[in-house]
Amino acid sequence: LPRSPQRLKAAVHYTVGCLCREVEEDKDVQFSKQSIAAIAEITFRQCGTAGLPGECFLVLCRHAKRTTVTTEDVKLLARRSNSLLKYITQKSEELASSNTEKKKKK
Amino acid sequence: RILSKERRSRQKRMNSHESWSLSPEEFEIWDRLYRIKQSDGIKEPVLPQVQFETLESLEETAKPQEGEVRELSLSEWSIWQNHPLPTSLVDHSDRCHLFISAMEMMELMRYQKGECSYEQELQPHLRMEDVNIPGNKRNLSMAKPP
Repeated sequence: LPRSPQRLKAAVHYTVGCLCREVEEDKDVQFSKQSIAAIAEITFRQCGTAGLPGECFLVLCRHAKRTTVTTEDVKLLARRSNSLLKYITQKSEELASSNTEKKKKK
Repeated sequence: RILSKERRSRQKRMNSHESWSLSPEEFEIWDRLYRIKQSDGIKEPVLPQVQFETLESLEETAKPQEGEVRELSLSEWSIWQNHPLPTSLVDHSDRCHLFISAMEMMELMRYQKGECSYEQELQPHLRMEDVNIPGNKRNLSMAKPP
């Protein structure tokens, strides 16, 4: 089902709002509605309408002569920070092991 | 013939610093014209370090700096950044344009108080099935229009 950009933006805005509420509770700070809107818009655009990671993925994929995006491509997006790369790599390993467990159960 | 002579003399000059480091002559120039010394009365410029607020830090901690340094700021001139600045040989990237438009959006919202035009514009388009992920339930109330 094709989704309108407005609908996608609304979903991102809502989710960003939820995440900001969690940060507010954790850190005892307040976000203005405008700052949540700005974070939402930046997140939305980062996700691909401006061709950012989306285009990156295509380039990475082609670079490795693949047509399917894999976790390796995702890891490359995090390459600039060791902390972020470690975090993403851990998540990817957790995901992989839980996937193999699920397959075993079947 | 003149050209080839010139080329040969350039090659000679090149040979004297085939290594990665500066030749004594280049070092002298660097030391005299560019090197920041204490007597210059300006601080050594340094770039801010990458840091993630929400992750355990693995980055090298900044070395204790000798003398005073000036950390280059990427936010000091933010009010200049809501339009593309001139380019020389390299065009602005998509990522750069995204930054500019985000700065523009924030400039436009700067004086809004309370209600947010972005939120009001998007609220009618929100479908809960797009966002209804497990663990999100306690926040459901905030999406309901007042």
